[in-house]
Amino acid sequence: MGEVILEMKEIDKTFPGVHALDHVNFEVRKGEVHALMGENGAGKSTLMKVLTGIYTKDSGSIIYEGKDIEFHGAREAQDAGVVIVHQELNMVGHLTVAQNIFIGREFKKGIKIDDKKMNEEAKKLFDRLNIDIDPTATMSDLTVGKQQMCEIAKAISHEAKVIIFDEPSAALTESEIEDLFKIIRDLREQQMAIVYISHRMDEIKVITDRVTVMRDGCYVGTLITDECTKDDIINMMVGRVIYEEPKTKSMVAPDAPVVLKVEHLNAGKMVQDVSFELRKGEILGFSGLMGAGRTETARAIFGADPKESGDIYVNGEKVVINSPQDAVKHGIGYLSEDRKRFGIVVQKSVAENTTMADLPNYIKGIFINKKKEREVAQKFVDSLNTKTPGVDQLVVNLSGGNQQKVVIAKWLCKNCDILIFDEPTRGIDVGAKNEIYKLMNKLAAEGKSIIMISSEMTEILRMSDRVVVMCEGRKTGEIAIEEATQENIMNMATREIG
Amino acid sequence: MKKIKENPIVKKLGFNRIVLTGVLILMYVLLSLMVNNFAGLPRIMSALNYAYFLGFLSLGVTFVIATGGIDFSIGPVMFCCALVAGYSLTSKGIPMLPSLLISIVVGLIFGTWNGYLVAYWKVPPFIVSMASMNMAKGIASVFTKTQSVSWPQAAQGGWFRNLVKVGKFPVGLVVFLCVAVICSIILNHTKAGRYMLSLGSNREAVRLSGVDIKKWEMLAYILCGILVGIAAIYYVGAYTTVQPGYGDQYNNEAIAGCVMGGTSMAGGLASIGGTVIGVFIIALLQEGILALGFTKDYQLIITGLIVIVAVYADVMARRRKN
Repeated sequence: MGEVILEMKEIDKTFPGVHALDHVNFEVRKGEVHALMGENGAGKSTLMKVLTGIYTKDSGSIIYEGKDIEFHGAREAQDAGVVIVHQELNMVGHLTVAQNIFIGREFKKGIKIDDKKMNEEAKKLFDRLNIDIDPTATMSDLTVGKQQMCEIAKAISHEAKVIIFDEPSAALTESEIEDLFKIIRDLREQQMAIVYISHRMDEIKVITDRVTVMRDGCYVGTLITDECTKDDIINMMVGRVIYEEPKTKSMVAPDAPVVLKVEHLNAGKMVQDVSFELRKGEILGFSGLMGAGRTETARAIFGADPKESGDIYVNGEKVVINSPQDAVKHGIGYLSEDRKRFGIVVQKSVAENTTMADLPNYIKGIFINKKKEREVAQKFVDSLNTKTPGVDQLVVNLSGGNQQKVVIAKWLCKNCDILIFDEPTRGIDVGAKNEIYKLMNKLAAEGKSIIMISSEMTEILRMSDRVVVMCEGRKTGEIAIEEATQENIMNMATREIG
Repeated sequence: MKKIKENPIVKKLGFNRIVLTGVLILMYVLLSLMVNNFAGLPRIMSALNYAYFLGFLSLGVTFVIATGGIDFSIGPVMFCCALVAGYSLTSKGIPMLPSLLISIVVGLIFGTWNGYLVAYWKVPPFIVSMASMNMAKGIASVFTKTQSVSWPQAAQGGWFRNLVKVGKFPVGLVVFLCVAVICSIILNHTKAGRYMLSLGSNREAVRLSGVDIKKWEMLAYILCGILVGIAAIYYVGAYTTVQPGYGDQYNNEAIAGCVMGGTSMAGGLASIGGTVIGVFIIALLQEGILALGFTKDYQLIITGLIVIVAVYADVMARRRKN
């Protein structure tokens, strides 16, 4: 490891309702791969966004190559040599590889774009990375893994000195991950400083030199990877936060009726022949890696996306669900992983969002009975402990956890008995998370049935009565909570399907 | 400044609308000072004539914009309504009342057509309304054999002119304000209005709440069509003669009135009260421009600029909020 090239000191950042970064320290040296770890919402991405100037920090300092700096956007950071390779790739599908790499700074010959020179330069970059990609290939024809390598090539072409990988392996296959690691090692040899953000413990042990752990917006500590165990890191990540008691056995009565049965559901590549049962009062965990097809399964059941085949039974009766309207009619509610896009109407008030699914019951004559609407909304604000100045408050002004509660209120207001929670605590801080857990347990105890999709293993183990595991669009396992462990779930989630 | 905005009375009336009313009054005072004989009833009546038909157009397009859509066909469709209904009246011998209904029905048909294509076929509203605009012109020309149509004067059985004014009493103003109140109630106090605004703000979230968004989106265009049909009646009530192939400029003016009044082009936010004041400003502006001795062309330029400034202000306001 070489000298420190980048140092962030005492970085502080507050969003309305969330202390996102609480005096965080982080440094990275030349020629090292430095892991940045933490649970969802720990502040990793926020820290990187502060670094590249997408967010402005409230206080603290950033020292880069010995100088105090402040970038005002990804472009400025890029020009200085600090580049992020994002989880979601930012590529223009119908352009060629070389055109993508040099987008915004094309080589010119007179007024014409010099494609030949760009192809040559791209080839040089790929040679440097020891990868074999045709610069003239169309980007959308490449696999996700190859596209990511183009993204890396693009990063290097900016004379990068610090490269930040934001969960690079999430969408890659095993062999692509191997290739990625090879490239990262090469870059390390070339004395580049690499920040590696990931959830995957195994990768951290394989590829990184040091690990910095964050938790709830705070800096927890930095370890040398070779000198620590997985458990050390996990302990630092989880800390001593007392969650709702983890489940050691199913809370569902053995004779509880099946409320939802899905048989041989098919919907595109991401949902292939999925079958399962959900029982009254049960929390059924859906585990798997990103892109395993869990959200797609939920959306197909809910009628949000079309399905090709498969039968759905609600309370033993076969039902036809072709649209969310049908699903809601049969008492199914869906809480999306992306609340802002799919859950709430931000320009509407808490009360208006609460009755969104059940508005026909709040009509008197032709008018909306706003008095009744506000009363009911207030009832849910009280019972869910939603923190809002009032039911007339616009939802946009609420924190993530409280927005989630408004979405829950929407479905409770509609009196849905089957609730699909898709990543219910994503982007929610720890206190609110615990409240959501409590609430889900309470709902289950009251006889609601819950499907909980979660990418957080701890959440799956803590909340589920039973766990369904998916991989690449197929159900690869089902396991009672009594027998579920991180290891056997992970095994099923990565199972190769022959 | 913040204190003023927090004042409960100001909040109730809307800061934006108070400012707009101020602008309207200021414009009137300035014009009265600059132009001889501007103050007084004749100018006001003339401006009102313009405000009626433009107002109905603007109310209609407010619903469409609330859903996040746009309608560039309202002006030519209004002319199509007036031409088809007028031709039926003058050349086909259809009595007055059914002819007026024909005007509204033609508007309704166009609204339904636009709405159906936008909501069910998911054709972008911009394209749909551009196509409808030309279709409206074409249909009107075919129907009237490219002749202009003159509606009868009051003395020749044109009793519909009483809808505009009786003697010096502005009946049109009363009707317009009543319709505006109804529109405001629909938008703010009924299921239809709630869903239109909500889907304009976040379509997917509303769909995933189990709401039939297609139905409500289409309804916005249908309401718009009906109001365009009414606008046609007030246009001929004031100006008698319509010619096929025109009407485009009123799109811009109606949208300007609507956006100036605080309706967001991005959808989800709409104010009927704002639209009403916005329409009066545009009407007074057009009267003022003529009175100042400029041609109608200047009015086109100024309304164009108003649309851009109003939309830009809306964009900036939303950016600040984020």
